[in-house]
Amino acid sequence: MTTPLVRGTEKTTATTDSAATPKKKGRTFSPWGVVAWLVGLGFFFPVFWMVLTAFKQEGDAATSPPKLFFTPTLDQFKAVFDQGIGPAMLNSVWATGVSTLLVLALGTPAAFALSLRPVRKTQDALFFFMSTKMLPIVAAILPLYVIVSNIGLLDNIWALVILYTSMNLPIAVWMMRSFFLEVPGELLEAASLDGASLWRSVREVILPLVSPGIAATALICVIFAWNEFFFAVNLTAVNAQTMPVYLVGFIAGEGQYWAVLSAAATMAALPVILCGWFAQNKLVRGLSFGAIK
Amino acid sequence: MTVTADTEADAGQLATAERVRKIREAQDAGVSRAEGWRRRGPLLPALIFMIVVTQIPFVFTLYYSTLSWNLVRPGSRQFVGLNNYIAVVKDSQFWTVALNTVVLIVVVVLVSALLGLLLALLLDRAFLGRGVVRTLLITPFLVTPVAAALIWKTTILDPTNGILNWVLSLVGIDKVDWIGQFPLTMVMVVLIWQWTPFMMLLILAGLQSMPRDILEAGRVDGAGAFQLFRELTLPHLRRFIELGVVLGAIYLVNTFDAIYMMTQGGPGIASANLPFYIYQRAFLGFDMGQAAAYAVVVVIFTMIIASFALRLIFKSFSGKEEAA
Amino acid sequence: MAAITYKNASCIYEGSDKLAVDSLSLDIQDGEFVVLVGPSGSGKSTALRMLAGLEDIDEGAIEIGGKDMTGVPSKDRDIAMVFQNYALYPNKTVAENMGFALKLRGVSADERRKKVEEAAKILDLTEHLDRKPAKLSGGQRQRVAMGRAIVREPQVFCMDEPLSNLDAKLRVQTRTQIAALQRRLGTTTVYVTHDQVEAMTMGDRVAVLRFGKLQQFASPNELYDKPANAFVAGFIGSPAMNLVTLPVASDGVKIGDSTLELERDQLTKLSDLGLSEVTFGIRPEQLELTDSGGVEVVVDLVEDLGSEAYVYTHAGSGVELVARCNPRTAPKLADTVRLRRHPEGAVHLFHPETGERIN
Repeated sequence: MTTPLVRGTEKTTATTDSAATPKKKGRTFSPWGVVAWLVGLGFFFPVFWMVLTAFKQEGDAATSPPKLFFTPTLDQFKAVFDQGIGPAMLNSVWATGVSTLLVLALGTPAAFALSLRPVRKTQDALFFFMSTKMLPIVAAILPLYVIVSNIGLLDNIWALVILYTSMNLPIAVWMMRSFFLEVPGELLEAASLDGASLWRSVREVILPLVSPGIAATALICVIFAWNEFFFAVNLTAVNAQTMPVYLVGFIAGEGQYWAVLSAAATMAALPVILCGWFAQNKLVRGLSFGAIK
Repeated sequence: MTVTADTEADAGQLATAERVRKIREAQDAGVSRAEGWRRRGPLLPALIFMIVVTQIPFVFTLYYSTLSWNLVRPGSRQFVGLNNYIAVVKDSQFWTVALNTVVLIVVVVLVSALLGLLLALLLDRAFLGRGVVRTLLITPFLVTPVAAALIWKTTILDPTNGILNWVLSLVGIDKVDWIGQFPLTMVMVVLIWQWTPFMMLLILAGLQSMPRDILEAGRVDGAGAFQLFRELTLPHLRRFIELGVVLGAIYLVNTFDAIYMMTQGGPGIASANLPFYIYQRAFLGFDMGQAAAYAVVVVIFTMIIASFALRLIFKSFSGKEEAA
Repeated sequence: MAAITYKNASCIYEGSDKLAVDSLSLDIQDGEFVVLVGPSGSGKSTALRMLAGLEDIDEGAIEIGGKDMTGVPSKDRDIAMVFQNYALYPNKTVAENMGFALKLRGVSADERRKKVEEAAKILDLTEHLDRKPAKLSGGQRQRVAMGRAIVREPQVFCMDEPLSNLDAKLRVQTRTQIAALQRRLGTTTVYVTHDQVEAMTMGDRVAVLRFGKLQQFASPNELYDKPANAFVAGFIGSPAMNLVTLPVASDGVKIGDSTLELERDQLTKLSDLGLSEVTFGIRPEQLELTDSGGVEVVVDLVEDLGSEAYVYTHAGSGVELVARCNPRTAPKLADTVRLRRHPEGAVHLFHPETGERIN
């Protein structure tokens, strides 16, 4: 057996290269912690109340003083389902899902091109992308309505897919670009010396590193697309209505029935809330995107 | 230390500059067409898509604004030049609505930025259950705006059975018709509730990206907590706050959902903002030409403000770090 | 294995008008270990990167094994590089990092594993093969970077300050190991560092660069004994050579009132060039304490290193001199002593303006 020519004498320690010193785990009781809890609960309260009310009988829902304890029931949710929430759900899923995929498909190469070798044109392209976001959408809605109805896409989910893609693309490009910029240039150099073509380097080295960032971007797109109302309410009627539109239509029918309205609202809002909760770190990462760079 | 004789140095420098110039020329010519396309190619699909979907409609809007065109009256499409714009300027309601819009954006952005800052400071220290509190705090941002507006309008702000009035009644304050009496303010409250988490997250990222050692240096130099905050933390956070303000403003210009759900712009136009006003003209009044003119005016104002904003973003984020 | 030739190669900094590397010409032989050394901004890293294809060759050419590399992309040059920050692929294990280049070439998985394990054995990495870089210490990561280069069996190794992120003790240890490794493998190696000790101990030949220009390309001994200009003289050797500009007298150079004598032929050269001043260089170990003759100096500081001591002094005229002496008999602070040139001591004379060597 050959003795190693190069001997290592240091032990294996996981070296963390974090700049900030790690914080002590919060076992400490601090008065500010209490304040934070109170504020957190306060902010959360309307959501809590919404979900709570959804489980009430109508009689328990609109009372003064408001009722915290009552016998829960699933009747409201059943009522909402019976009214035909299914199609609206599907429409929302479709519009959100497909537009997000399109955003990623169009935006990832764009972000990559903008981050690889910055040129004067890069600034201009970024500028252009961001500026499209600044145009109030109300300015576009009129001709869009006319165009969409002329090409026969009124009340068609594909109109929303296209519009949501254009709505999210600028932010997505900007976010993903900042994630691409975080990849150290040396890795690309090392890969090219190892014999990798650009495409191969991207696939094997860059994409794995950037994938959390791409996930974060996708999450932001999902949130904005799912919750979008203006385009949806103006360009859809019965067939292509998304959850927010359905919710509004629901009210017109139900009047002042708070419990069932809460149930409908809960169902409209829940998917994105859950997404946001479970992918919280990605969301935080995404929102602080170019803020760090 | 080794310095060449004067004339030699000058001659040497000239020769060098000449070589550099030649190299530069070769470089500029050399970035071949193919390379240029390869570099910018991936950008094109996204770029083309955006141009088609956003710019072309705007061009149409410009065109419509020169027409007198009511959707309900067929055959009413005729060119009237700048008449619609004159009507815009003469419309006293328009100015009220514009004011509402500005007030809404400014108040919501400032208040949510301030609240966001406070919340970020709270969350910056470790305490039991910090993760849970953060989860609770980001929820308002995730809730569908129309759902949020609905819940606030009914269960919280309702004069008879709403929670707010009930809580106030416990301290002896009479019932108030919040939405009826303070329509714009209530809309702003809901928007603030939804946007504060966004600001908080941005500022929190800023706080956590701050190198701790300069704070330690400040402490050793004798600075108190407030001084540290004012002199060191706040300047560092400026970028993030600016980013939040700009992005928030961009999204808030288009506020529609909350107004639609809560007040329908009323009473009258007390709580209408420009998007809602234009929507009313177009989709309820069917006056396309007029609505288009309003839209163009809004766009012009927004562009002016936006160009300042964009310059701000790019200045702050051109990759320059402040602390050494 | 291949010989490398730099032919008047130049490169401009991106977006600037300055030449990072100015007309560099080097003839590196097959199997040689060449070190590029110089202060920051000297262009040494750029010169290395030009060889690896990571910077464009703006002027001139670089040949590897006789083939011109202009326009040849990095991936076709068969060069392996060890980066200063290692540039390990974070999402791959050590084994995958080391085997990546082979995988790209289409080498079978079994063959790859064999080669990776061989290299891992040489580098004492066998137990870490399935770990990811984040879980390794700095020294281990450095070895993985080396392993990645070795596995490829390239014609050239490029190393860009690979030791600068290691602590001092590890650096010294790894230095010897890299040199031994290169001797065993026999691959032509170009190594960049700013540390002249590394340069002197590791290189077969050393190229000293400054502001993008080559100052001297020679073996360590020659650099030490016969520096081609004042810069090289002052850069190589620690503590640095004493370099002072002194007025020329008929029999030597004057330090204040005293004269340090020079040889006949040195004086002849000086008068041939018509110089009234000369930059005079003498290494600390060529100065010795004496009781009579020489120059009178006052001691400012004594550095006792255990095996030897260095005395920092200044003469009346303000000239500062460092001398080496025995730590047991070292003078004390503020003592007045006399320094004279060692009888066999070499003296280096440089032109006071161009810095070029005279003697």
